[in-house]
Amino acid sequence: MNLPNPRWLRGLAILLLSLSLAGCAATFIAAYDEATDRLLTELTQRTETAVAKADSGQLPEAEREKFYAEAEGTVKTMEMRAGLYAKNEKEIAALAELGQRYRALRDRHAAPRTSLTTGLRATLLDLHQIEVAKKRSTAFSSGLKKSTTQ
Amino acid sequence: MDTATLLTDMLTAATSAAKGHATDLKNFIEARARLIAEGVTAIAADLLSGAITADDARFAFSEIREAEKTAILAVEATGQAAAQDAINAALAVASAAVNKAVGLAIL
Repeated sequence: MNLPNPRWLRGLAILLLSLSLAGCAATFIAAYDEATDRLLTELTQRTETAVAKADSGQLPEAEREKFYAEAEGTVKTMEMRAGLYAKNEKEIAALAELGQRYRALRDRHAAPRTSLTTGLRATLLDLHQIEVAKKRSTAFSSGLKKSTTQ
Repeated sequence: MDTATLLTDMLTAATSAAKGHATDLKNFIEARARLIAEGVTAIAADLLSGAITADDARFAFSEIREAEKTAILAVEATGQAAAQDAINAALAVASAAVNKAVGLAIL
């Protein structure tokens, strides 16, 4: 029986290892999206401003309704963007919950006082943490790519 | 190629990659606890001053409970990102070791 040349076998092993390592960079979470992060920061800023105004009794009903409508519009925009990325299920689910927090306040015709918006503000913070994790991970991945191509 | 050294290097790289996420998670949990504590204090103050009703307070607590769903999602997403970075850091070390062993940048 003709056994394969050991050098040929070594080459084959290296080739298989190369193929498996090159193709198996782990991806568990979607890449960071700067536009979504910016929208979230702006929405948080608008929410905190509305909360401060409501706490001091300076948020008229018309302005309050406008705030809720615009906030829901922003959440819808973020949901559309989030849906374009694979492996983004956590963010999509969190955005659906965020929309629910705004709707609950709007349906109640409640002024967005600090006392009534803790759940909403906590959900905003949760989404910020998702963005922080994605940003760190995306920066880490590009750092790895740079170091392996140098 | 020394397997024991490679394993140590891979584990060091993976641990180091996950460390940043662990710090972020600690900061997040602290910030969230502070936010909830401030919110609950505001609920009590508004109830006492009559700015909100008992029904409003029940609504506010219900919303805080609902928000726990997104806290879990945030922790899970951070875990996914940390695992991704740890695995890719370990793979990068392994690729570099293979390249060095064969003397070619094949990976």
